[in-house]
Amino acid sequence: MRPAVSHKLKRRFAQTFDLPATVVLDQAVIHVFGDGEVQILNHKGLVQYTTACVKAKAVQGMIEVSGSELEIASFSAQAIRIRGRIRQVVLR
Amino acid sequence: MMPWLWLWWQGYVTVRLRGVGVERVLTRAAQAGVHLFRVQRLTADLVVVRLPVQDFRRLRPLLREDGRHLSVSILDRHGWPFLLRRLKGRLFLAVGLGLAALAVAYLANFIWFIEVVGADDFTLELIRAVVEETGLRSGVKRSFLDARALEQHLLERLPHLAWVHVKSRGIKAEIHVLEREASVLDSQGAGHIYAKRDGLVTEVLVLQGTARVREGDTVRKDDLLISGMYYDQQGRRQFGAARGIVKARVWYQAVGESSLVQWEPVKTGKRHRQFRLTVGPLSIPLGRSYPRDNHLVTTRNWQLSLGSALAPLSWSCIDYEEVQWQKIPVPLTEAQRAAYELAWETLLAQGVEIDQVLEEKRTVDYLNDGDGIRVTVQVEVLEDIGQFLGQ
Repeated sequence: MRPAVSHKLKRRFAQTFDLPATVVLDQAVIHVFGDGEVQILNHKGLVQYTTACVKAKAVQGMIEVSGSELEIASFSAQAIRIRGRIRQVVLR
Repeated sequence: MMPWLWLWWQGYVTVRLRGVGVERVLTRAAQAGVHLFRVQRLTADLVVVRLPVQDFRRLRPLLREDGRHLSVSILDRHGWPFLLRRLKGRLFLAVGLGLAALAVAYLANFIWFIEVVGADDFTLELIRAVVEETGLRSGVKRSFLDARALEQHLLERLPHLAWVHVKSRGIKAEIHVLEREASVLDSQGAGHIYAKRDGLVTEVLVLQGTARVREGDTVRKDDLLISGMYYDQQGRRQFGAARGIVKARVWYQAVGESSLVQWEPVKTGKRHRQFRLTVGPLSIPLGRSYPRDNHLVTTRNWQLSLGSALAPLSWSCIDYEEVQWQKIPVPLTEAQRAAYELAWETLLAQGVEIDQVLEEKRTVDYLNDGDGIRVTVQVEVLEDIGQFLGQ
């Protein structure tokens, strides 16, 4: 199904009125705390969870957190908090 | 994030999810408003997750909707609701825990340990004695401890202490002390030498200062003997510490009394034993007590000791031996000797040294009731009566 307002139009709207794109475009926000914790806000669901990799869907694409001894400290509809030894965070 | 205390109060469960596609179920659960935390992947098909107990019922329909084969089981239950359920089955345990908590809360209002920090063994005993004078001992209420007053009292009673700090740490009173350096004690400023007792001066030796008495003078206590004022080699008047020796003939008198009859206990052979447990101010006798007027009492104590701290727990074993008192006359010479020795003990306590005694007089009197004797001993000694007093 095509979205009611296209992605391009939303982006232009945000730029014109100087609004945060994450809000207008419903994009995910990623916070990285050192190498021990990552917080993903506004995700669209968990796709894969192992101790080496956690993948979550987002409007921008797929967020991939990889490392070792990964554990989901908390998981709700709004946010995922991942703890462990974080190696990299990739947006695909 | 849900605070742990709130979570514990609500109760939460640890759930095991086994099967393929756990991620999808977790996403659906989160979207349904279930708060999940500490999600741990143990194996490829096994995930352990924690969630509030009220959300667990919402998890099962999601598993069914998913269509895949996923098994779920509760591994553990945590929190207040589960603890309460366990305690309901063990009423006495709950009551015991409650009483124990109350007892701990009540006992925390008392001081059970008194610790002295920074004192050597000799000073430690002195400090303990002075602290006991104030009434502070193991088992008194915490409100009884007036730290400032105790510090003041210790400094007044023990001048060799330079600094005292008292602080209350829960059920323990800590007394931190710092002793004065010996050199500080010995140093003297300007001052005079006064007579510390009455006497007849026999010798005056001045090292510094000006003599105010001469041989043959009779002096009374607190009379000035050597003044700290003197003139130096340039003829200037100076005021310093008077130093010197003033020897005088001094008289001491002491009285000793002794009885001419003696009451001796004769054991009847009957023995009793009592134990006593002392916890702070509370003393619990285990067994009967017997009157002390016709029983000899022997007490043995075991006090719990924790280093320099006074422990509030002690155990006593008290042996009672029944006796009958028998009157025995004491020979006159023996009574005189005992009274004389008592008098001499008093003299020695006054500071008389036996080798300084020049002359001794002894008088013997009978007491009014006829059952006792009194010996009065007068001695004449030669001693230094000077006492330095700084300005």
